[in-house]
Amino acid sequence: MEASSSGIPHLPGMEISELSKNTYEVYIGPAHPGSGHMRIIVEVDGDIMVRVDPDIGFVHRTMEKLAEGRDWIKNIPLFERMAILDACNITLPYVEAVEKLLGTEPPERARYLRTLLCEINRIASHLYGTGIFGVFLGHSTLYMWAFGDREVFVDLAEQMSGARLTHSYPVFGGVRRDIPDDFPEGARKATRYMRNRLNEYAKIFLNNPNIRSRLENVGVMSKNLATELGIVGPNLRASGVRYDVRLNDPYEAYGDLEFEIPVFEEGDSLARAWARIEEMRQSLNIIDKVVDWLEKHPRENFMHEKFWKTAPKLYKDVYTGQIEYAGKYRIKLMPLFASLKVPPGKAFARVEAGRGEMVYYVESDGKDVPYRVRVVSPSFRNVIAFKYLMPGHRLMDLPAIYGSFDYFPPEWDR
Amino acid sequence: MNVWYLVYRVIIDDIIFYPPVYQYLIIPGLIAALLVALFIIWFERKAAAFVQMRYGPREIAPRIGGAIQLVADLTRYALQEIIIPETVDALPYILSPIVMIILALLPLEAVPLTSIRTYFPIPPDYSLLIAVALSTLSPLFVVLMSWASNNKFAVVGGIRESFIITAYELIAVLGFLSAAAMTQSFNIVNIVNMQMSGKWLGLLNPIALLAVFIAVLMSTSGFPFEIPDSESELVAGPYTEYTGLLYGLNMGGGYIKRWVFSILIALVFLGGWAPYKPVPGIITGYFIPSLIVSIKALIVMAIMSFLRSVYGRYRVDQALGIAWEILIPLTLAAFGLGLAEAYFGVI
Amino acid sequence: MVGEVKKLISIQDLLKNVLKDNIISIEQNKGYLDVLVSTDKLVDSAKKLKDSGFDHVKSVTAVDYIGKKQFKITYHISSYLNEELSKYIIGLSTVINRDNPHVPSLSKIWVSAEFQEREVYEFFGIVFDDHPDLRLLLLTPVIAALKPLRKDYVVKEESDDIEADYIAYNTNKWW
Repeated sequence: MEASSSGIPHLPGMEISELSKNTYEVYIGPAHPGSGHMRIIVEVDGDIMVRVDPDIGFVHRTMEKLAEGRDWIKNIPLFERMAILDACNITLPYVEAVEKLLGTEPPERARYLRTLLCEINRIASHLYGTGIFGVFLGHSTLYMWAFGDREVFVDLAEQMSGARLTHSYPVFGGVRRDIPDDFPEGARKATRYMRNRLNEYAKIFLNNPNIRSRLENVGVMSKNLATELGIVGPNLRASGVRYDVRLNDPYEAYGDLEFEIPVFEEGDSLARAWARIEEMRQSLNIIDKVVDWLEKHPRENFMHEKFWKTAPKLYKDVYTGQIEYAGKYRIKLMPLFASLKVPPGKAFARVEAGRGEMVYYVESDGKDVPYRVRVVSPSFRNVIAFKYLMPGHRLMDLPAIYGSFDYFPPEWDR
Repeated sequence: MNVWYLVYRVIIDDIIFYPPVYQYLIIPGLIAALLVALFIIWFERKAAAFVQMRYGPREIAPRIGGAIQLVADLTRYALQEIIIPETVDALPYILSPIVMIILALLPLEAVPLTSIRTYFPIPPDYSLLIAVALSTLSPLFVVLMSWASNNKFAVVGGIRESFIITAYELIAVLGFLSAAAMTQSFNIVNIVNMQMSGKWLGLLNPIALLAVFIAVLMSTSGFPFEIPDSESELVAGPYTEYTGLLYGLNMGGGYIKRWVFSILIALVFLGGWAPYKPVPGIITGYFIPSLIVSIKALIVMAIMSFLRSVYGRYRVDQALGIAWEILIPLTLAAFGLGLAEAYFGVI
Repeated sequence: MVGEVKKLISIQDLLKNVLKDNIISIEQNKGYLDVLVSTDKLVDSAKKLKDSGFDHVKSVTAVDYIGKKQFKITYHISSYLNEELSKYIIGLSTVINRDNPHVPSLSKIWVSAEFQEREVYEFFGIVFDDHPDLRLLLLTPVIAALKPLRKDYVVKEESDDIEADYIAYNTNKWW
């Protein structure tokens, strides 16, 4: 990293490289109507892209350093802000890793409740990604429909956890609330409505000859390339690799449920868009099965005994509904969490979030703050595809490729 | 002479209803074009909103459905400060949008809107050829605009515009001239008189109508067919550096060009002022036929606006591929069909 | 339960067969298997693991042990294409000195580690030799010169004094 010989100061954030005579440098920058909070530096030769360099880091919020100074329970709302659309999926591996260190496992009803919220979040996140993809291609109808239908599921999540987007639902030992009495029929109506709407999406967007000619054979990623680059999520399953954490390494209640994983062989942008629509269909089936199970089994404890027995009598009264103004089946924060000390050790947990596989590494040395938390989000592992996949395509294929990867810059930068 | 007679002769007969002035400024000229642009942008937003499960504009005048939303938008553009950056070439930068709008309305000077002799703006013997030739002047100023802006996005947008205009205006010109092949004259009055008995040229030669419709959609930038102006890769193409009233002129300029082409389509393919036979006199001989032509053109524009909610945007090389490989042979076939119909005496 | 213990024993056997005497220690942590090798055998062990089926890197982590004056760098690897191996996560780790930290880069073997190694470079100041494109990824140069994620980092207060910032940056940068 020495200064270059021509006397220009070489700061490491700035790369000086030789441009060949015929290329033209275009910045798809942070203040662009079609980019989001990131910058892509593109060198174009005529209409073909020659070199693409993703320049990220505009929304970096230093979550790993902040986590070393806060208590264990306070890190749950911190990590949620990474991608507030799928809040349950993002904080679940952290809670699982700390539970492994503590040695407590949640009861069965809590596992099914966590699964239910995870699937609702997965559908909301896929609808967001599909909508944004539509507006990059100039198709505003799909954008409005996807965001309108997302309201149905955000409303279900609000009935379950009390907040539309930042749920903070899984805690150590279980969950925070149980479902209300009139939840199952609302959930069934929502899944019936959404199945019809998915057929409409296929008609207006995926089978529209205009859009098909823009997406077919664009950004083709073969199986070997996808494995080498370490791509995750529906992008990987659209290239022919059959890998999903819910099947290969089951967690929560996924081991008892039966569902399918859609895998496509072509690996182009159209296959990635289809993979998301098919996954939404499977998630609707899972929601139906989980709601049936929750209705059939009697309401029992949803928090581990070790924490529940330290609760004062007021909490137990609120739980059974004897206090009138406070609602039913909910508990407040256990006083034990405020000064929780976790025994020393190292743990690792992984979960299939909406956009791919989410990974946490937690290390503790016996105090009440973590020693080191390392978080790798799925969108961060997909950034490398911009550098290796895009050269060779035309400039107008840039939104078609990066929209199909379901970009979300706050998740990259953490 | 009577004072009122003098008023009638001078103001109304010589100034307002003098054909070149009437056609360039009143109907279907500047005032009608502005009113139609106001109406059609509101209609486009409402129709798209109806398909997309939402309401559309309803803040300004809720009881009539927000119809005067565009008046508020225009007022805001007119009162906003015009910022001229230092790095642009100032004279072409300021003049190009203005000249573009002036030249876009020029074909209206060449078309007759009635069959009564005293109301022709120019001798109508070659009016179709002159009108079509004048309509190809304004896109040059878009390319000039992109060069004067001195911005990478503008230059890429200008290059795309020049490719697309070359291909699609050729299709529009050939499509209009197939009407000349069918009726064996360039005189628009003869063309409309031949359609008086119900034989509209659009029904006899639908291929030409389809080709001209697609060409007009692609060459006048309206979402989502505006490839030079596409928002996801290039910020606004050639129009990036504009603010204030110049920006309003640019955005409205697309709709004004579309209006002029729609008037030509209504006269040539959809029957003009048929089935009404003009009688000498100002109101019955000039005003009513021009209103009929305007209403037909408005229907054509409304159909073009509705397509906003169904289609996405094509890539540049795919759009050019469609133009040169599919539409030009189709237009030549339409020309041949017109010649065949004239030979066999269908019309 | 018996089947699980059998599987665990067999994965440890597999590692012992593949890596032979590069291993310093194997430890079963909660959720992954930690394999400690020495720094000069790191590239060799990585090649042998890649040939036996582990084809991508999930995360590159560095932990700062300021009491023992060491950095510990861990590569968590797993497999996509091999069904058996995709249930396990192996943590290939090495320990280096805290002053003048240099580690050989594994991006030529596993392309998926390229951007993550850049991130560890800017947060800790650890230089990866032979990396194809080592420069800052997320931070600005002024903050990266202070090596934020080390345990002896003091949070810099926000100020408008550009001169003092520039002088501090020039004295602190290590590139």
